[in-house]
Amino acid sequence: MSDRTAPRWLGELQAHFGAVLRSPLDRSTGALRATPSEYDPDALGAVLDGPRARAAERLAVYNRQYWFRLFGVLQTAFPLTARLLGHWRFNDYAGRFLLAHPPRSWDIDHAPEGFETFLAGALGDDVARDALVEAARIDAAWRALFRAPATPPFQPTAADAARLLDARLVPSPACAFVLERWPLLELKSALASARGEAPVPLPAPLPQARWWALVRETAGIRHLPLEAREGELLALLRRRTVRDALAALEGSVPTPERAALPGQAQRWLAKSVERGFWTGLATEPPSDEDQGSTQV
Amino acid sequence: MTTRSIARDALGLGLRIPHYPWLFEHWPEVGYFEVISENFLGPALPPRARLDAVGARYPVVLHGVGLNLLGHAPLDEAYLDALSRLADRVDAPFVTDHLCWTGAHGVSHHDLLPAPYVPELVELAAERAYAVQRRLGRPFGIENLSSYVEFGRSTMTEWDFYASVVREAGCWFMLDVNNIYVSSQNHGFDPGDYLDAVDFSRVLQVHIAGHTREPDGTLVDTHDHPVPAAVWALYARAWRRGGPFPTLLEWDDRIPPMPEVLAELSKAREARA
Repeated sequence: MSDRTAPRWLGELQAHFGAVLRSPLDRSTGALRATPSEYDPDALGAVLDGPRARAAERLAVYNRQYWFRLFGVLQTAFPLTARLLGHWRFNDYAGRFLLAHPPRSWDIDHAPEGFETFLAGALGDDVARDALVEAARIDAAWRALFRAPATPPFQPTAADAARLLDARLVPSPACAFVLERWPLLELKSALASARGEAPVPLPAPLPQARWWALVRETAGIRHLPLEAREGELLALLRRRTVRDALAALEGSVPTPERAALPGQAQRWLAKSVERGFWTGLATEPPSDEDQGSTQV
Repeated sequence: MTTRSIARDALGLGLRIPHYPWLFEHWPEVGYFEVISENFLGPALPPRARLDAVGARYPVVLHGVGLNLLGHAPLDEAYLDALSRLADRVDAPFVTDHLCWTGAHGVSHHDLLPAPYVPELVELAAERAYAVQRRLGRPFGIENLSSYVEFGRSTMTEWDFYASVVREAGCWFMLDVNNIYVSSQNHGFDPGDYLDAVDFSRVLQVHIAGHTREPDGTLVDTHDHPVPAAVWALYARAWRRGGPFPTLLEWDDRIPPMPEVLAELSKAREARA
């Protein structure tokens, strides 16, 4: 590869220009506007006036493009959250997130990473905070599934059966387990074909939380309903050995349920393998990569 | 080295997600497709599966937006490795990116940003473009930008800068006539002067697209409209001067149904007459 280094002045120019691009857009008028009067003077000094616009206005084109492009990327990555908040309010959080975490990768699809965690902190004591956080986590899980590589499902052998109890099932990156307290997956599906920027009302909470498995298939992402204990078991299995997960589940259920639990657990376990929720068995603790299978 | 080729007068289309359902049902007659490289560099299965399906029926060329040829930092080796693997996978007849910078000091701005036109940067860009072409083992073309600013530091015209980089690198022009038109209006130059600087024997491909006029008169390269008459006229002029060359229509926003985009692309034949 080329050994030539760029001249120092180019780095300085790009630093000033970059600062202009990332200058926040003003929201005070109810519309997003560039404020060229606040641009880095060194960037302004490097640019010539043009036949149609002064230097500051010319830079403003890039300033607006930077923000609108990234707002679009975040809205696409968090469509349910964006609609629940409405685009105006969503863009406010997105802007604050991007100021704190500007994109670092050549892949623009990395720009939204971590937004769900940022939003959980930024929402403070918002009355709808818990539902919005749940929505953002569902969006993040959905996005992670889409971006996951193809991985062959776990196909147990006789030897695997013998060591199953003391091993850990490795989660498939194309599968996530979601605990839902508002009917948000249903809303997400409904909104997929209904474009808009205005906030949509938050649905009433579910009478009882429900578990889903989100599974990426060739045709798209499917959500499969799970029984409550089944969801709890699968979530435990993501991080523990099968023996520990079964013991933890047993310890958490009321005594009357315990008698039926071993048979049920065996059925849920077999079904999860059939459905391709796992890619293999491991004896070491879960790695960061195993977080690809998200529990929401 | 690539084993696929596209006809010198081929008409191609930028592959866009909204067109997938229609495309995968009708498989229309198209000379080739161009994909945005970065959309297919990751491990995600759905884009890869779709690209494989398209690549089985059409030649696919790669068009990048993340090389950062004029960035202050050295080129990203991991990015180039991934790009090289993708080019091999689709057996791309050629690969293109832009004569611009996209990020600096660890921040990626995800925009195609201009730099001053000075001999010092000709050398930098040419050395890098030469290395990229060698690394890819296939023709590498550099695209001219639409730009909205000019720098006081520039000592060359954009077209002299561009032609010098291509010549010194031994690479190719990826000539965007819409970008020439947009920049000519924003900066007040004659687009014919630009075309005169291009060695058409080194043109890999020509892009056509639409743009938007802002209230202050600035033209912005939005790719969200049909190709305007002025851009068709410039395309016709380029064709008379240096055709044939492969021609590709880009449509990236407010994307109409694929038959409408194909109809727009077919107007290139009329413009050549």
